[in-house]
Amino acid sequence: MTAEPAIRIAGVSKRYGRTEALKDVSFDVGRQELFALLGPNGAGKTTLLHIICTILRPDTGSVIVGGLDALAHPTRSRRDIGVVFQEPSLDDRLTVYENLNFHGLVFGVPAALRHQRIAELLDLVELRDWRDRLVRTLSSGMKRRVEIARALIHTSKILFLDEPTAGLDAQSRERIWTYINQLRSQRDLTVVVTTHYIEEVEGCDRVCVIDHGTILALDTPAALKAAHGQQLLRIVPHDDAAAAIIAEYPDATVRPDGEIVIKSSGDSFAESFLSRHGTHIRRLSVEEPSLESVFLSLTGREIRDQAAGARERTLAFGRQGGEHTR
Amino acid sequence: MTMTETIRLHAGGLYAIWFREVKRAIRDRGQLIGGVSRPLLWVLIMGIGLNPYFRGEVYGEVRFVVPYTYLQFIFPAVIALNIMYTSIQSAVSVIWDRQFGFLREVLVSPLPRATILLGKILGGATVALFHGCLVLVLAQFADLSLSIGDIAWGLVLMALLAFGLTSLGVVIAGRIRSFEGFGVFSNAVILPLYFTSSSVFPLDPSLTSAQTAVIYPEWLTFLVRINPMTYAVDALRGAFIHFHQFDPALGPAALLAMAVVFFALALRGFARA
Repeated sequence: MTAEPAIRIAGVSKRYGRTEALKDVSFDVGRQELFALLGPNGAGKTTLLHIICTILRPDTGSVIVGGLDALAHPTRSRRDIGVVFQEPSLDDRLTVYENLNFHGLVFGVPAALRHQRIAELLDLVELRDWRDRLVRTLSSGMKRRVEIARALIHTSKILFLDEPTAGLDAQSRERIWTYINQLRSQRDLTVVVTTHYIEEVEGCDRVCVIDHGTILALDTPAALKAAHGQQLLRIVPHDDAAAAIIAEYPDATVRPDGEIVIKSSGDSFAESFLSRHGTHIRRLSVEEPSLESVFLSLTGREIRDQAAGARERTLAFGRQGGEHTR
Repeated sequence: MTMTETIRLHAGGLYAIWFREVKRAIRDRGQLIGGVSRPLLWVLIMGIGLNPYFRGEVYGEVRFVVPYTYLQFIFPAVIALNIMYTSIQSAVSVIWDRQFGFLREVLVSPLPRATILLGKILGGATVALFHGCLVLVLAQFADLSLSIGDIAWGLVLMALLAFGLTSLGVVIAGRIRSFEGFGVFSNAVILPLYFTSSSVFPLDPSLTSAQTAVIYPEWLTFLVRINPMTYAVDALRGAFIHFHQFDPALGPAALLAMAVVFFALALRGFARA
């Protein structure tokens, strides 16, 4: 990383009443980086994003955005930031164009530049024909595209996307990533994205895995896989064998659909498993190290079933007719 | 940031927020219907209906308590009522913005909160002023002949009133989370303020305080006298029918004070939110 980082966060903490949403979080985001914050719901991703966007103040710590102390000069640092929030924030009684123009005005973009940018960005997100439609007539995927366009009407150097693809169908999700990559090739842009779709993180420069308000790991996807990745065995047992398998492998996780996931220590692990339980299982697959397994080994749970804590595990176990459940 | 950039940001932002409020009001047919039907009801039905009863009898000689017809008397008050409803109702858009996330979009902009709030209140006040003007159209039914000067001064007072009441609406909206709650609460604020503002009946200035106490119970005259809307309505009467129940300077002063105090309160609440 050369010279000044786009964002430097040092010792940021935030608590809501008795819960600590963020505990002493520090990291840098380099210029033009595509940086992902990965973590389950409630991990503190959105809180962190709101702090960097200056709409929330941390209890302690410092936030430097583009070399400027964002806590001391919030209105100035907002000029360099484009934000796409998790929840929609368009005025759906205005048209697409009116929403974009409003944004340009409140960010002080001069008229000529404003009109040029709106036209360019509407082309980019393929919504030119929808320019004069009321936002409420748009699908949720389209609305998200309008919001991405909107965040770039002023000269934003850093784009924050909070779960930009959540709740969208696969095709819309892919499109949104296409736009993001196109934009990064066109202008000097640092992108910080939060997501819980693990496959989307593969293409990012660096990934920050966060849970319970602390950073668990921060590195490139490849380095993360090398350091924390694990081979996984995914097993669908016969109904009566699940309890025995779980009893034998205490670190196994049970997914709601009954699949058991066991961390494997290598090829011989799978062989020894098969020799013991081979007759009690319906299906077994060996999964090579992926970010999914990185997440599992770091947080002790799979990102898809986000709340697979002890209680859920017991419940899932109980559903299969396991013993010791009440 | 250069001077021109700063000016462009603030002026542009103010304009955008103001224009959005106005546009939303124009697209909201329901609000417009209310703004038209309310004055029709009050002027044409209440006003014309009660017109013949608005006089006092002294020693068998009929005279008007105030030297105007009832229609003329309540006409300025109906303007105030229409502004009041629209102003306070316009604060619903504050709740709307919070509920549907648009507030965030404005809060991440480089505009200071005071500018954002000012734009919003000016927008709501503009719509309210327009609804006040809808009543003015009915002036001929009330037998009012208005000079350009009367109208201009009246509009200034109406604008001040609209600004103060929209600020009050924002203050209320800051404490209320739901749309339904706001509807109930705003009625609970508007109607008592309206009825105790000497809008539908006069406190006859020709009576001494002792005589007033005989005609009206003390608590009522007390309510009327402490209600700032009393002086707002009085100011509008001064402009449109040249009739004052109180010191003519009190009206504009009360309007100005309302605008300043309520805006300050709104700003304090908004900066905290």
